[in-house]
Amino acid sequence: MIGMATLLTIVLMAGVTYLTRIGGYVVLRNRVLSARATVVMEAAPGCVLISVIAPAFVSRNPADLLALAIIFVAATRLSMLPTVLTGVASAGLLRHLIG
Amino acid sequence: MSISQAVEAAGDGSGSEFRRGVASCAPVLFGTIPYALVLGAQATQRGLSPVELSMMTGLNFAGGSEFAAIQLWTSPPHILLIVAITFLVNSRHLLMGAALAPFLRDLPRGKVFPALFFLCDESWALGLADAKRRAAAGITPAFSPRYYMGAALAMYLTWVAFTTLGALLGPMLGHVETYGFDMAFPAVFLVLMRGMWKNVAAARPWLVSLVVAALAYLLVPGAWYVAAGAVSGLLAAWLMAGDA
Repeated sequence: MIGMATLLTIVLMAGVTYLTRIGGYVVLRNRVLSARATVVMEAAPGCVLISVIAPAFVSRNPADLLALAIIFVAATRLSMLPTVLTGVASAGLLRHLIG
Repeated sequence: MSISQAVEAAGDGSGSEFRRGVASCAPVLFGTIPYALVLGAQATQRGLSPVELSMMTGLNFAGGSEFAAIQLWTSPPHILLIVAITFLVNSRHLLMGAALAPFLRDLPRGKVFPALFFLCDESWALGLADAKRRAAAGITPAFSPRYYMGAALAMYLTWVAFTTLGALLGPMLGHVETYGFDMAFPAVFLVLMRGMWKNVAAARPWLVSLVVAALAYLLVPGAWYVAAGAVSGLLAAWLMAGDA
């Protein structure tokens, strides 16, 4: 049921992933950051989040782009759950209508 | 429930902090469940058994790298290639941990290291946004470990359960992604970014990240776009901070 090569791959994947999870904390735990470094760290979360969802912004599907525009407007006005529901509903509907 | 409503509704009891974390994570699960089913279904097509897949999602618990691994999967797998890609896709955790580090300083390491095992995009973003809101409201300590663990465990159990279910149901599932559930992720992330918004100048690095990540996604195969976008945004922030 479990192949040795598969098991080894999975364990090594888990190991490097855990290292990335503790790495930032271990290195920066006891440092006092400069003003410039603080500005960079404050920008970091947004930079990571927008990079993860960047593919949605360059979709070739017009339905997806339109849904993303609706989500963008919703996100500036509504709280989390209404925005998510609006996003899922408009993407599902627009993909059905436009294809 | 939005994060701000959740903060207002929070009591002092540890149980309610945990529940507040689970509740904040609930909208995120709309996007996670279909994504998890798709991963499970794809894994069986690549020759992984349900047991092997649930080991992967349970021990690794980082969806992006698991999708990348499944795309690259052969039998037997190219171990070094898959491990290297896993590191690359998850290298953003280094930045995420660094952003969280100031809030974790007062916690004992015996709690932080297990908690960091459950660090994912969603638990990190919710935990950090909550800590920043509490800090702004003058609540100490700003970081609520039980809130974070509520969000993180909801995410973890959902991910492992539904990837396994996807592997068991396998080919019976059609294209789940066509129903629009994947758009929950941009929605969640954009709402979180609105919470981090200060002014146009402070958001310029985000625009750099978006443009570079989008170009990298279009031009470079694989998962380089996340690293390219994040690093170029940070570089822009570094350069712009010099002007001020």
